Amino acid sequence: MGLDFGPDTGTDGNIITTTIDKVVNWGRKNSLWPMPFGTACCAIEMMATLASKYDLSRFGSEAIRFSPRQSDLLIVSGRISIKMMPVLKRIYDQMPDPKWVISMGACASCGGVFDTYTLIQGVDQFIPVDVYIPGCPPRPEDLIDAVLQVQQKIDSGALPKGVSPY
Amino acid sequence: MNEEKAVEEQSKPLVLEKLEAAHADALLAQDEVRGTAVVVVRKERAYAVLEYLKTDPELAYTYLVDVTAVDNSRMESELMQFDYARFMVVYQLYSYQGQCRVRVKVPVHENDLSIPSATGLWRAANWLERETYDMFGIHFEGHPDLRRILMPDDFEGYPLRKDYPLRGRGERERFNFDKQNV
Ligand code: SF4
Repeated sequence: MGLDFGPDTGTDGNIITTTIDKVVNWGRKNSLWPMPFGTACCAIEMMATLASKYDLSRFGSEAIRFSPRQSDLLIVSGRISIKMMPVLKRIYDQMPDPKWVISMGACASCGGVFDTYTLIQGVDQFIPVDVYIPGCPPRPEDLIDAVLQVQQKIDSGALPKGVSPY
Repeated sequence: MNEEKAVEEQSKPLVLEKLEAAHADALLAQDEVRGTAVVVVRKERAYAVLEYLKTDPELAYTYLVDVTAVDNSRMESELMQFDYARFMVVYQLYSYQGQCRVRVKVPVHENDLSIPSATGLWRAANWLERETYDMFGIHFEGHPDLRRILMPDDFEGYPLRKDYPLRGRGERERFNFDKQNV
């Protein structure tokens, strides 16, 4: 289950020794609630990842929430224009801590091929990103891998990039 | 040879023939490009021509497909042809009745960017003209709500003009999230 069992206490496994952080992180990691922010073609791959064939729910992340106040994993999948950036920032701000951000695809991560006046050249200029996914578009396996990386981060006790210092 | 010519004459689109008869003084040029009639129309007469195209029972161009513009400032050949008008506003029309298209182009000078709005003829013109205003700064007189449609409201400049830098003027790096009302 991902929990560390303490040294053999001679109690036939009826007692698990652990720390509160470990238990909390274990819970968080296995029930990430993604907030999809799909603005372009990458979102199609994200939908495929969530659908039955790739089935993100195998990793405990199927509870997609379209309200930022109910989610803790922001998946930015697609181009972010200068008009959309304030919206994205607002949605990020509305998510309760702790929260993680995946920047999916070349466009979200660096503007991709759209080096133009209207496109944000990487959302990490404005919101903290935990995991970047390269590709145009990345395959569903890549998104699954990114979610697993977020899970690893949580499991290791690392703080999210955008954690508030308080 | 003569026969061939006769066939060509015959195949001249109806819309060009009718415009020549009814609005000869409004036409600056006419052409046929891959089956689509193209007319260049004087700005002062643009609305009258569009109205004619829509309301004439034989033509009935009831569908306004697109309104856009072209910035010809780097196309010397085009500029010379139409008295150095920098912009060319383009209307694409379709007639369900005749199942044919016509492209109406209107030269617009930089020192007078206004042109009558076609919203009175086609309601579809509303957003299309807003987009043309947003991208080229063409002023559609009589438009009920001429605001930017794609760019943010506080955006400065007209990005599809040729003198607008491709990578912008720093809009994509500079943000004031407090100011922006979302
Ligand atoms: S990275 Fe490629 S697939 Fe993804 S949004 Fe950009 S253009 Fe579309």
